[in-house]
This record gives sequence, C-alpha cells and structure tokens, in this order.
Amino acid sequence: MSLRTVILLVGSAIIVPLIMILASGFGNDPHAIPFVLQGKKLPPLELLSLDGQKISLGGKRTKPIVVNFWSTWCEPCKAEHILLQEAARNLNNKVEFYGVIYQDTPEKTREYLQQKGSEYPHLIDPNSSVAMDFGITGVPETVFISAEGVVLHKHLGVLTPPILFKQLSELVPGGLN
Amino acid sequence: MHATTGNTLILSSVALALAGAILSFSAGRHNSPTGTKWGRWCAYGYAATMVLANLVMVRALLVDDFSVSYVAQVGSRSVPTWVSVVSLWSSLEGSILFWGAILGFYMVGFCKQLENRYPKFVPYANGVLLLNAAFFAIVIAGPANPFQIMDPIPLDGPGPNPLLQNHILMVVHPPLLYLGYVGMSVPFSIAIAALLRGELTSGWLKPLRYWTMIPWTFLTLGIIVGAWWAYEVLGWGGYWAWDPVENASFLPWLAATGYLHSTVVQERKGILKVWTLTSVICAFLLTILGTFMTRSGVFNSVHSFTQSSIGPIFLGFLATTAIFSMALLAMRSHLLEDEGTIESPLSRESAFLLNNLIFVVFTFTVLIGTVYPLITEAIKGVKLSVGEPYFNQMATPIGILMVFLMGIGPVLPWGRPSSKDVIRGLLMPASIGLLGAIMTILLEPSTSTTTLLALGVCTFAATVTAQELINLVRSRRARHLEPLHTSIQKTFASHRRKVGGYIVHFAIIAIVAAIAGNKTWKESVEASLTPGKDFQLGEYTFIYKETVGESHPEKFSILASFEVFHQDSTLGAMQPKLNYYRSQREPIGTPHVRTIGNQDIYLSLLAFEEQGRRVVVKAYIMPMVPWIWWSLPIIMLGSLISLWPRRKSNALHTGVVAT
Repeated sequence: MSLRTVILLVGSAIIVPLIMILASGFGNDPHAIPFVLQGKKLPPLELLSLDGQKISLGGKRTKPIVVNFWSTWCEPCKAEHILLQEAARNLNNKVEFYGVIYQDTPEKTREYLQQKGSEYPHLIDPNSSVAMDFGITGVPETVFISAEGVVLHKHLGVLTPPILFKQLSELVPGGLN
Repeated sequence: MHATTGNTLILSSVALALAGAILSFSAGRHNSPTGTKWGRWCAYGYAATMVLANLVMVRALLVDDFSVSYVAQVGSRSVPTWVSVVSLWSSLEGSILFWGAILGFYMVGFCKQLENRYPKFVPYANGVLLLNAAFFAIVIAGPANPFQIMDPIPLDGPGPNPLLQNHILMVVHPPLLYLGYVGMSVPFSIAIAALLRGELTSGWLKPLRYWTMIPWTFLTLGIIVGAWWAYEVLGWGGYWAWDPVENASFLPWLAATGYLHSTVVQERKGILKVWTLTSVICAFLLTILGTFMTRSGVFNSVHSFTQSSIGPIFLGFLATTAIFSMALLAMRSHLLEDEGTIESPLSRESAFLLNNLIFVVFTFTVLIGTVYPLITEAIKGVKLSVGEPYFNQMATPIGILMVFLMGIGPVLPWGRPSSKDVIRGLLMPASIGLLGAIMTILLEPSTSTTTLLALGVCTFAATVTAQELINLVRSRRARHLEPLHTSIQKTFASHRRKVGGYIVHFAIIAIVAAIAGNKTWKESVEASLTPGKDFQLGEYTFIYKETVGESHPEKFSILASFEVFHQDSTLGAMQPKLNYYRSQREPIGTPHVRTIGNQDIYLSLLAFEEQGRRVVVKAYIMPMVPWIWWSLPIIMLGSLISLWPRRKSNALHTGVVAT
C-alpha cells in the first residue's frame, strides 16, 4: 500500500467520524449538569426522619417515590411545598412522598412544618451526603423514582402543576387517571 | 463611538487579511518579491487594526460604555479596574477578538523574522496565516461581533463570570493559553507552505521548530497555570479534572510535543517525515477543535462559554482545514518518503518512534474519552461520560511509559549500537531508579505498586537527564582547558536546543512525580465545628475561631478563621472564604493554601451557619503539589535557552544557504 493511500485512508477514518460526532452534539446546553443516577437503581440510603424513624429510600418497594430536596430558607421551596402537599394528599395510595432537608436545621424545619403542615415524612441529611449522592446543586430539586427503585428523572427548580402532573403520570404505572 | 470605531477596524482587518492572502499566494506562485512585500504589509495592517479594535474594546469596558453589546454583556460599574480589563477575554465574543489580536502579533513576529529569507516559502506561509486571520476577522465582524449597538442602553451590566474575578491567576491563564493556541497557526502555515511549494528542505523546517517551540512553551505554561488556578479557586483539593475544555488544551500540547521530538529524528536521519508534518498540522487542527469545544455549546463544561451559533462555523472551518491538509499531505506523499531506515530496535531513533506512538495513543485516548458522551448520545440516545477513572486508568501507564522513554532515549546511541554500549549507559541510571523505588517503600511502606513504578521511572529519567548534561560539560572540559563555569556557559551556548530540552524534561519529570506522589499520599478530612472546637489531620491541628463577613462592591465574602498548629508550634491563621457575587447564586470558594516544605496544607470552607455558629470545612494535606508550580520557571528557563537566538551572522547564513 502506498504512503498516499495510507494517508487518505487513515485521515478519512479519523476526520469523517469525528466531524459527524461533533456535529451530532449541536443544540446541547453546555452548562447542563449530567445526572449520573438517571436510569440506575438507587443504592440503599437510610435516613432519620424528623420524628426519629429510620427510612430507606433505596431498593424495591410497592409504590414509586418522589423525593423533594428543600429548605426553609428557600422561598421557592415554600411555594412548591403547597403543591407537593396537595399531590401527596390526592395520591396517598399510589405514590410515596419524602422531603429531604437541605443545609438547614431540624429545629427550623419542624417549626415551619408545624405552621404549614405536612402530608409526608421529612428526612435529615447530616453533612448533605445524600444530597451529594443525588447530585443536588441547589434547592428545590425533586427526584422521581420508580417502584423498582430506578431513578427516572430529576427536576431542577420549582415544580409547577403541569410539570408535576407529567412526571407523576410517567411514574405511576397506568397513569394517574 | 466605540461601537462604530470597533466595527470599522474589524471590517478593515477583514479586507486587509483577504487582500493580503490573495497577494501572498499570487506572489508565491509568480515568485514576486513585490507581491510578497505587499502581502506582508497587509499582515501588518491586519495586526494594527485588530490590536486597535482590542484597545477600543478595553477602553469601552473601562469607561462602562454600555451602548457596546459586549460591555453590556460582561461589564459592570462595580468591578475593579483589573477585572474590567480582563473582561476582554471573559466571554465568547471578546475572547475571539483577543484571539485576533494575538494572531496579529504572531504574524508581525513571523514576517519580521523572515523578512528577506526563504522567498520561495514565506509568501505561501503568509498567505495561509492571512487566510486563517481572515476567517477569525469574519467571525468577529459577523456572528461573534462584540461591537453591536445596544438599544436601549442598559444602565449597568452583570460583570464577567465570577470565576474570572476570583483569582489573579485568571489574568495570566487565558492569555497564556491563547498565546499557545493561536501560535500553533504559525507552524501550521510553515508546514502547509512547504507542502504547497512541494519542497521539504531542511532549511525551511528550521523556522518550523522555532515557531512550534514558542506556542508550545505558552501552552505548557497556560495549562499549568490553569491547573494552579483550579487548585486555588475551586476548593476540591485537585488541579486537573479531565474536563472537556481542559482536554481541549492538552490535545494540541500532546501533538506539538510529539512534533518537537519527531523533528529531531527527521533532521538527523531523514526519517519520520510523515509523523513530523502530521503532528504539526494536527496540533493546529486540535487548537481549532479546542476552540470549537469551548465555544460551540456541544460539550458540558464549567469552562464553556454559552451556547452560540458559531459552533457550525468553527466545525466547518475545522472540517475544511482537516480535509485540505490531508489531501495536500497525500498529494505530496512522494516528498514524505523516508530517506533511511531504522537500523536497530535498540537505537535512539527507535525510542523516538516509540515515543511518537505513545503520543498518538495518548492523544486518541484523551480525544475518545472527551467525545465519548457525544458518541453514546448519538448511538444510544443517552449521554454517558467516561469520567475521571477512565482518564486516570489510561493516562497512568501511558505517562509512566512516556517518562521511561524520556529516560531511555538519550542513553541509546543513534544507528546500530551494540547491546554492551546500551547496557553500560543504562546501568547507573537504572540502579539509581531502583534505589529511588526502594527508598520510597522504606519511607512509605503503604505506597502502591503503580506509584513505586512511577517514582522509580522518574528517578531513572532524572538521572539520565542529569548524566547527559554532565557528559556534555565533561566532554567540553576534556577538549578545553578552562574554568568549570566557563565550560558550563559555553556548553549551554553551543547546545542550546539539547540543554533546553533536558531542562524541560526535568520539569516534566517533577510534574509526573508530583502527580504520582500526591495521588498516593494525599490525606483529607471533613469537619463540622462550633467556635473553639478543633480537628486533627496528620500532624496538624485546626482550631476554629470565628466567622466574619466582608463586603466589597462586587461581592460579599464569608471568612472562617482557624488557627493551625503543627504538633505544638503554631503556624498562624488560615482563613478559607466563600464569595457571593452579585451575578451568581452559588458561592465561589477561596480555599486557604499554605505551602510547608514540599507539601501544601489546604483548607476549604464548604458551608456555614448564621453568625458562624457552625462551619463545615474540608482540610487536605497535599504532598508534592508545589513541585508542579515550581516546574513553571524551570520550563520557562529550558524554553528560553532552547529559543535563544544564535549570533545573527550564523542564522542568516543558514537561511540563505537553505533557500
């Protein structure tokens, strides 16, 4: 094989696929943070709730779960709280809801929940280790996990009724209706 | 006023670059000295207009002229003057404008140096440079125009990315990198000129090495300073994360380093010509790929600029340049046939060839790892990143092998050496390398096998390098009766390239050893403390005193004060910070780093409660990391020695003879 053929063959074998791969990436958001748990089974994660119960988030269970990371110093979280309470009340037999307290004190959270009420347990995450496992970058963030324990989606920012409805419809086998 | 002046200057630079490219190619084709001269003047004109456009932008930033789109995007009335100046390269449009000015400086330097030399080649090289300049000027005039007029005019701007404001190293890191990236255009132009002309004379390849060495030095320094910045700002106790944009700077570095080695063999033995020219061309193409990675929005990275429409333009430029270069290499393949062969696998040329292969493997390893998320997304529809473990797993054996070859290469003679000569040369350095590994395991019995191997190989390579330098001086002293310092000075003067290269080798060995040592012996602990409480890390005790707030026009900082003790003696205060910038929700840390001997004590503030009632910090002991930063002046020294010009009469003589 001549040197010319080698140059053309090797060059084309590198340049053509590389350009095609690079072109396939247009439209991406360069600052989107990849969520490593997406599509994976959640490892066993045990946390204490505000009333001292041990609660595990990982593993197979009978119902899908929604885990909301929030704190009392986050105003958007408070707005979202009302929506989540309503959803938890209406879907009590179909979905489990949990709150995870993010960089906040149990005392302040208890005080807030006493005023506003809560339909589901809120878990204490000392040193934010569970938040780190979930790749939480700020609050509010909400993670949707199937009954098989597979992480389906993470929503960054405040949940609105249409977003929550869409995510829950995908989460509950057979939909919400 | 700034916008109009800026646009006029940019449009002039487009016209000058295009006219200069046409004149230069025409002059090359018709051997016209007048055309060459006019092409050169167009290059000077391009440089002048581009530099002036940059100065206009700096002025607009300094006087807060928010009628200019780029100032409205990155300017702010509340930032210090130095931040206003560095805002020039803080965002996409400004960074390309800055790129244009650096290209102008390189063009002036190149034209001035080769003004009356190599008349057959220079017009082609100028033509290629000017075409490249025209591309960037068109991008600046069109899709990435920083001089658009704002209507309505905002009263204030958000300021540049807070990460850029947080440390003074950001003043030097981007310019150094750009000097590295942009400078690769010159060797590319020289290589393409040789191929277009259809002559590969060794004389013309001399400026090729010189003009690769300059951007290579800047790129090396830029990469190290970038790692230093990450270490001093990001607070995670690391300096390199194999982020796509970091990789974007490392890829051309690998290709250019491959060239600098390959060219030695080409000059000496007339072989590896394809390697040599391909490496130079790839180094340039990889800088364009790097620019694409940073500016297209295709890659996820903290360093990326925002999504923009210029991605397809850069990809088109990359594809066109790559296909054109490949076609040209294929067309001129008859010039690239080797004039000799490798006579023995134990020869120095074999070591160089193996070295080239390693550089190619390393380049592909990093490239594949970087584009992997795009590959999986295209094939499976899911974006999967290979992450740091892949890169570390691959880079460790490659890096060790590279340093091993760095050691073995100089020991092997050229041609067909006897195995006895090879063994004699290797005996002492190999024994010292082995001794280094044994000493390490005696001092630190828990050291992993990989680190032992790495440190042993580093000791071996450092011994060979020192031995070679000593041998150079010794052989001169055997021939001349003169004082030792005169011998050293004259040896350095007469073997600049070799001595400079060996000095740079020392720095690279130090970096590899530091990475290996730090990876193994790094210690860290996270602590949650109330005032007066302490925690222990190694022989150090950290006592938390208090937290205070500091208000600045552009940010608010939270400082946690610690007193640090080494056994019983105090080392004074350490104050890690969290900075809240007006324009960013998440705080940016400033860890406190203190160098003690050859290790750093690194304290990072992670979180705090109101009034400093509790803080969460992470402390690290980072052995050997200072070696990485100490390598900076060594690299500069080695590069300066290597680049230092010979006496003018000699240089001119070489050039004239070669043409």
